[in-house]
Amino acid sequence: MTAVPVRSGISAVGLVVPLAGLAVLVGLAGTTHRFLSLDNARAILASTAFVGITAIGATLVMIAGSGVSLATSQTATVTAMFFLSTQQYGLVTAVTVAVLTGVALTALQGAVIGYWHANPIVLTIAAGFAIGGATTWFSGGTPVNPEVREFDVLNSTVLGLPVAVYVLLGVTVLAHLTLHRTTAGRQMYLVGSNRTAARAAGLPVGRVTVIAWAFFGACIALTGVFLASFNTSATVTLGGTLTLDAIAAVLVGGTAITGGRGSALQTLGGAVLIAVISDVLLLRGYSTGVQILVKGILVLAAVVAVHLRATRGRR
Amino acid sequence: MIQIDGLTRAFHGVPAVSGVSFTVGAGEIHGLCGHNGAGKSTVVKMLTGQLTPDSGRIVIGDEPVELRSRQAAQRAGVALVDQELSVVPALTVGENMLLGDIHAPLVNRRRAAYAHCRRVLDDMGLEGIDPDQPLSTLSIGEQQLIEIAKALSQRARLVILDEPTATLTDVESASVFAAIRRVAATGCSIIFVSHRLAEVLELCHSVTVLRDGRKIATTPTADLTVDALIVQMLGEPPFRLAAARKPDHDLAHALRISGLRVPGRLRDFSLTANAGRIYALAGQLGSGASDVLRAVAGLHPTAIGTVELHDRPVPVRDPVAAARHGVAFLSNDRKSEGLFLDRSVGWNLTATRLPFFARAGVLQPRRELVIARALAERSGLPEHRLGDPVAALSGGNQQKAFVGRCLGRDDVFALLLDEPTRGVDIGGRAAIHQLLRRAADAGLVVLFASTELDELLELGDVIVTMRDGQIVNRYDGDVDVDGVLLMRDMTRGIA
Repeated sequence: MTAVPVRSGISAVGLVVPLAGLAVLVGLAGTTHRFLSLDNARAILASTAFVGITAIGATLVMIAGSGVSLATSQTATVTAMFFLSTQQYGLVTAVTVAVLTGVALTALQGAVIGYWHANPIVLTIAAGFAIGGATTWFSGGTPVNPEVREFDVLNSTVLGLPVAVYVLLGVTVLAHLTLHRTTAGRQMYLVGSNRTAARAAGLPVGRVTVIAWAFFGACIALTGVFLASFNTSATVTLGGTLTLDAIAAVLVGGTAITGGRGSALQTLGGAVLIAVISDVLLLRGYSTGVQILVKGILVLAAVVAVHLRATRGRR
Repeated sequence: MIQIDGLTRAFHGVPAVSGVSFTVGAGEIHGLCGHNGAGKSTVVKMLTGQLTPDSGRIVIGDEPVELRSRQAAQRAGVALVDQELSVVPALTVGENMLLGDIHAPLVNRRRAAYAHCRRVLDDMGLEGIDPDQPLSTLSIGEQQLIEIAKALSQRARLVILDEPTATLTDVESASVFAAIRRVAATGCSIIFVSHRLAEVLELCHSVTVLRDGRKIATTPTADLTVDALIVQMLGEPPFRLAAARKPDHDLAHALRISGLRVPGRLRDFSLTANAGRIYALAGQLGSGASDVLRAVAGLHPTAIGTVELHDRPVPVRDPVAAARHGVAFLSNDRKSEGLFLDRSVGWNLTATRLPFFARAGVLQPRRELVIARALAERSGLPEHRLGDPVAALSGGNQQKAFVGRCLGRDDVFALLLDEPTRGVDIGGRAAIHQLLRRAADAGLVVLFASTELDELLELGDVIVTMRDGQIVNRYDGDVDVDGVLLMRDMTRGIA
């Protein structure tokens, strides 16, 4: 995609280990009863979509060197509530309100991080509590339960796949093009690769950071919209474990937590991989606990692999 | 008494220090001087166990010692006070003094430790500092004194001070000197490494000068002057004749810097520079030369003053605005503040000119490739390496990629370079000098800071010497200049 391709230094070991893992997975999946069915493939994609949309946005933020956001679930919840409580104005208006809310809240955090060099972890913990607290306060702890149900259309399926899957694919393509074909995307890679150097070179570090976070905010809002539609109501706990699930998908995709490396397609792969493994474990009758445990191991393995590759490149 | 006898060390077959011998008596303060690359730091590293000598011996007291590690050196009674502070601000003065002390007991006995530190501080004349005081409450000069106190508290017999005053004010330096004298009076031997020759003469009993890895002489300071010391350091000094440079009356003023100040670093700096000329700022560490460049590039958040480029005011303290007004800055720290090391050569070359091959924010890969190829050729980089990570290039080629980033852009008017050839071999150095000359010929203002006399004289059309955050002298193209003149300005200051 890029004009000046980076020669990838994948060694024999770097290739063998993931391939072996994949072979084990294919073996397990193939011998799992009911895994190879259209319905199951559909189920996997549908379960990927919600977390996947947010994870794609989180990829841009991580590539731009801002690490992670720990306020994701809360932001998804508040956008879901806004979406449900504006149903009477029509679907387009409701989605727009949700997206603008997500962008505003998240881009604001990006501005504080990009222009005033705040620590993303600390800032987003604070923002998460603030947003979560405000949401609980204003909702009074009661679920938002709209009478007008414009959102039903979002729960429908088109050509056998849920709408959310198409949105996930659309967001992925958009993120991919942004990262690889736009000035802002290139600058995200540069800022993430070496923030000090980017600053000394006069690159607009602040602006780039805000753009990445704004994109992220829009993605979180879309996830919020689908969560709200799926549940038909929203409580303060709607966001659930979205924060860490999204981070897990980005990391399993191989995006470096230190920034500068990764891509939207990789994150899509990471999200699908997590969903496939969870599905295999589910079909084989393992408990939710085992699924979560395996997810943890997967994240660890991916982070170690990315780190090894990065340090080898530097030698 | 410390005896250094025939110390020799080579790197990859190239000798850095050959057969250096000198003696430092008990209670003596011994200066160690030499220009860049003379071998001072190699000697210091061998004395502190960071490098093992190829041959030669070190005798402390009566017995020869083998210093294979910093711990071994500490055990033998050698302590180093580095130019960079290595104290921990969050700990107390006393805790800092005992930090890393191999003699310290396993279980900290507070009262005994306090009394020990109190005694050491008193010995140095620092009655005003309490061992229980947090280190962060002290000034930088006082923190430097605690570094020395740390060396003393660890029962050092030889204290090596490596440029301890480079970043201190005159008052702070004076108190450091007083402390050093008191330490020497206790019978401790001291080696004082410094570029500040006047200070060396004031403080030391005798001075050993190194040049090209060899000892030139050890002379009692009573028989020395700053000029004599400079001649020892430089040998045949490099020079530049007036005729070598055209005068520049006919050129337009391009860069105007006036009243530029950075608290604690740069006192007052003004310079009017013409397009098409190379201006050299000559100054040692702490002279403010590199701070001038950083401030103009917007990288000093506390800088004040006015900068104009082609009659447009450039806001200070804002790197993005500086770049927008046509200032390109190259840091002396290529690895951490310069290149995007894990990205390709191509990406590095084009990093700051994305708008040149973007239409409405969308990159045009074909145009990018054309531009990257042209830049590679212009900066003397092989085209087939455009896709390689820049970290895989040699130091010289990395620097070419770094410089190349700023070339051939009609929106850059001033090129600021801090140590443009640091860590670059001779061939690469000549190539980079050529690139800079061509940039100047193309109408840019080139302003660089360096400590290398050869580089200053070869490249600078106008040489401005600096010390202690201000200008000492300015040598235009129509006067003869030589290394002794520059060194005198850089080391002694305003006469």
